[in-house]
Amino acid sequence: MNPIDPRVHQALDGEISPDSLPPELRRQVERLESAAALLVRVPSLEGVERRVMAIIARPAPTRLRRLTRWLVTPHSLVLRVRPVWSVALAAVAVLFAIIPVRETGVRLGREEGVAQFVARFPGAQSVAVVGSFNDWAPGSIPMEDRDHDGVWRASVVLPAGTHEYMFVVDGERWVADPLAGRYVADDFGRENSLLIVRPAHR
Amino acid sequence: MSIRSDPSDPEVVARVLGGDQEAFGILIRRYEPGLLRYATRMLGNGDAAADAVAEGLVRAYRHLASCREPVRLRTWLYRIVANRCKSHLARHSTSDVSLEEAPPMADPADTEAEVERAEQVALVERALERLSPEKRQAFVLKHVEGMSYEEMAAVTGERIPALKMRVHRAREALLEALEEYR
Repeated sequence: MNPIDPRVHQALDGEISPDSLPPELRRQVERLESAAALLVRVPSLEGVERRVMAIIARPAPTRLRRLTRWLVTPHSLVLRVRPVWSVALAAVAVLFAIIPVRETGVRLGREEGVAQFVARFPGAQSVAVVGSFNDWAPGSIPMEDRDHDGVWRASVVLPAGTHEYMFVVDGERWVADPLAGRYVADDFGRENSLLIVRPAHR
Repeated sequence: MSIRSDPSDPEVVARVLGGDQEAFGILIRRYEPGLLRYATRMLGNGDAAADAVAEGLVRAYRHLASCREPVRLRTWLYRIVANRCKSHLARHSTSDVSLEEAPPMADPADTEAEVERAEQVALVERALERLSPEKRQAFVLKHVEGMSYEEMAAVTGERIPALKMRVHRAREALLEALEEYR
């Protein structure tokens, strides 16, 4: 591959005027610009909007259906082992606990369990859990820090299975659980934490 | 007399999140042409591009609440569709229909100028197809979608110096390919 004269790149990046280039270099600029211009027009494709609106108008798939689909679809999982010292700094800890019905007073279905979220965010004004179980809606599962020690907690009844989640701090900062132990890349350049909930009644 | 302007992206996002599902159509009409163009140029196939864009828009709708900066919705949508295209390319090592196998169809009603233009487009498409997906993406985002390097960084997750280098390499490879086809 022949390198292009740096002035051609400068002209294409708008840093210098193409008129200041010698004819041969100006011809290269024009050739690339006209190639790009030819690529701007694409054949029109009808129906994408109708198709998308029809899909989103349908009721969202049930959690069980989403879970089933997730389980049968290949995923790339990124597993990381964190050093012990991160525990001291940890913002978050998650327990996957099965709390008996008599302790919580919550009547759990056969395919449900209770996930306890524990997070350490000193100075935060609010912390919420978002995830595949609440359509990533901030605010629907707020966490509490009753003794103002910076440790936030929430317990949630969830369908048994694997869920993706993050924490939203002060309504705007999305943070993965550093101690989750399991992560999965999403489509938005982030890594979501993974949570496994086991059924309370086996 | 008041002039009614189109609602901004953050306004439309707020409406959709507030339950106005139909408002998502505004965003589709606003960004679909560019997203389809990007996907078509990346995948070299209109049907695959339409699938990637439709899938991307559905995902965008379902995850709209996680769009942290609705003011930058455009790059957020491109990022989602770019990931759909990446998945498609990973599943299909070559484009579904090679442009070599599908030369431009000349309509008898086309004028000579239109036929010539179609040939030029095919030539550039073939040259673009020879680029690696990373270089092709860099060239398309920069020169076809007209994005700044900052916007490209938001779409690709890459650093700006790496993107500049990729655009330079793409220009060189494309120019060389175009010279070969002359």
